[in-house]
Amino acid sequence: MNDLVLIRKNLFRKKLRAILMLVSILIAFLIFGVLAGFERAFNAGEDVAAADRLMVVNKINFTQPLPIAYFNRVRAVAGVRQVTHFNWFGGYYQDPKNFLIVMAVDPESYMEVYRDQIEIGAEARAGFMRERTGALVGEAMLKKWGWKVGDRVPIMSNIFMQKNGSRTWDLTIVGTFTARKPSVDTNFMVLQYEYFNETQNLGRDLIGWMALNTASPSDNDRVAKTIDQMFANSLYETSTDTEKAFNKAFAAQLGNIALIVALVVGAAFATILMIVGNTMVMAVRERTREIGVLKTLGFSGGRILRLVLGESVLLALSGGIPGIALAALFAAAMETKVGNFIPGFAVTPAIALKAIALMLGFGLITGLIPAVSAMRLKIATALGRS
Amino acid sequence: MRPLFLQVAAVTRINIKSIPQRFWLSLSTVMAIALVVIVLLSFLAMANGFQQTLTSSGSDDIAIILRGGSQAEINSTVSRDQVRLLEEGPGVARGRDGKPLVSAELYLVVDGVKRSTQTKANLPLRGIGTEGAEVRKGIKIVEGRMFNAGANEIVVGKALLREFQGLEMGQVVAFATSRWTVVGVFEANGSVFESEIWADLPVVQSLFNRNNIFQTVRVRLDNPAALARLQRFVDEDPRLKLDVKSEAAYFAEQASQTSDLIQKLGWPLAITMALGALAGALNTMYSSVAARAVEIATLRAIGFGGFPAFIGTLVEALILAAVGGAIGTIATYLVFDGFSASTLGASFTQVVFSFSLRPALFGQAVLLALAVGLGGGLLPAIRAARMPIVAGLSQH
Repeated sequence: MNDLVLIRKNLFRKKLRAILMLVSILIAFLIFGVLAGFERAFNAGEDVAAADRLMVVNKINFTQPLPIAYFNRVRAVAGVRQVTHFNWFGGYYQDPKNFLIVMAVDPESYMEVYRDQIEIGAEARAGFMRERTGALVGEAMLKKWGWKVGDRVPIMSNIFMQKNGSRTWDLTIVGTFTARKPSVDTNFMVLQYEYFNETQNLGRDLIGWMALNTASPSDNDRVAKTIDQMFANSLYETSTDTEKAFNKAFAAQLGNIALIVALVVGAAFATILMIVGNTMVMAVRERTREIGVLKTLGFSGGRILRLVLGESVLLALSGGIPGIALAALFAAAMETKVGNFIPGFAVTPAIALKAIALMLGFGLITGLIPAVSAMRLKIATALGRS
Repeated sequence: MRPLFLQVAAVTRINIKSIPQRFWLSLSTVMAIALVVIVLLSFLAMANGFQQTLTSSGSDDIAIILRGGSQAEINSTVSRDQVRLLEEGPGVARGRDGKPLVSAELYLVVDGVKRSTQTKANLPLRGIGTEGAEVRKGIKIVEGRMFNAGANEIVVGKALLREFQGLEMGQVVAFATSRWTVVGVFEANGSVFESEIWADLPVVQSLFNRNNIFQTVRVRLDNPAALARLQRFVDEDPRLKLDVKSEAAYFAEQASQTSDLIQKLGWPLAITMALGALAGALNTMYSSVAARAVEIATLRAIGFGGFPAFIGTLVEALILAAVGGAIGTIATYLVFDGFSASTLGASFTQVVFSFSLRPALFGQAVLLALAVGLGGGLLPAIRAARMPIVAGLSQH
């Protein structure tokens, strides 16, 4: 009988107790997996961000507009490779509850700047440049609403009206695009800025914000400073930052999600640490005589230590691995449901690895006290105790 | 033979007295249940606090008027002509000077820096006229004074000051090329208005290049019933493509979205954790039954029934759960009640709110704790009741 068999037999000696501990460990790692996946999705904007991309927004706040004339001036700044601009459309479909992410863009420069994130077919590309009332709709959005390329969809805005008083823009879906990275969300659509600018009623020739690629990330600081200085003391001052910093600040607006996740996961782990830790102490104490016998048979203190630690680590892994697997299944099942709200909700390999490291640590901690006391146990005391 | 209730009382007493023998294991169950209660209550307190802040903002006899379909103040636009028509509308209350209590306002978003994360966040800058504070009830300047008409001065909500920096009394704030001085701090009964910055409407209009444009109109009504009349008036006039709602309804709608979401996250999390705690409770109670096997068998041998053993074990589990529930409730109350936080509201700006517990929430938490105790006690209690006497006595 090798040590592994001994460890397994010890662990499942009282089946019910072992199963209960496994369940509580499983639940703790299920919570960990789901929340870590949620947090990662929540901060996906930071991962998606390209190192060489800067965002130019109005210094007052990114909801304040900038004049379209800034587009050409920024394009001329040394170190700016490509630049494009956006307007938030405030879109919805049929009912205000069916909120849609819709932006008006300059087609050519948009498709150029975001080449790293989205993949657009040649036909869709040409169609979007040609068709005045055309829209490119992301794969996820097409699927969500059951639209097809070629459909004409009425898109409404909760901000703008057409000059004729209508709140609806009839757009033709000229093509779709897919994500180049798994963390990129394609649940949005873009329409032509020119068409939007000419038809909407609120102030012409204004844009929402600009995104640009620099020649190299090392140019970021200099380019950002040049742009902001260029527009300093004007009616529309700008604030230029990396896409990463911008996305991070935006995510932080919802609240300190990382802190909430840490507290809940901490509570879940503290719970099982106490339950499993105490149960391990009890389980080993029940075996005092047996450990005495093992020592009499010549098992060294170190080997006893390894046996007990092995048992607690095996327990943690047997409960934790199914827990994290369950979290992955849960995330996969929920992704389509919550995709609109938190795109990219998944238990990634990095999360799974972290979970396994936690399981090992958890196993060692819960096993430590009983293992050390078992190691130090004197045969005479052990056999003397009834 | 003793009456049954005396048997039950005797066995229950033995059960409770034996808890210290399994002190650490029992404590771990108590703490596990306490943590479940803390997680549940802190989410519920968050949802409740957010809801309270928004619902206390809305008044039944104030109508809020937005452009049709715009849903939130930030999206809306209302023209001067429309404001004039509304001033003549039915059901509009009048002030002591006979002027209609109508406040046309501008709602803009400016950057502020959140104290906790040091990141930029969206803060609402509301341009209001002198009617602004008059239409609303309970606006009170608690420090400094109100802004002067025509001056680049702002007053800041008290809650906003808690969460965001750089807006203290006397500070000068730059919005684009314009510089503004903070001259006062106001309270608004803990409502969402305390998360706002207020300034004089014409100054905001000109400095933000929005001359003659308004975003929302607030109207004090003669009474809540006057809302329907005003709605009919607006519907019948083709120049007024506007939505009229009571302010209470407007904020209640916004409140339910976010607070429902928080509750939908909190309950499943707490229930999942409760299942983990349940496994711990079962473990503890089975150990309790096993440790008292000889004692239970002895009692049975001298004529006690199975029922007292059942009740004794169940009561022990429920006591552990109740203690855990109480610890969790008290801890949440001490740590989280009044805890200040802010999140992005429906108008795309930060809403500052405080976690807030109310008795009904305590009830829910204690019920969850007792459910864990009941679940954790039931099966072990059945085992205790059914334990064969001979097997129990021959254990040693």
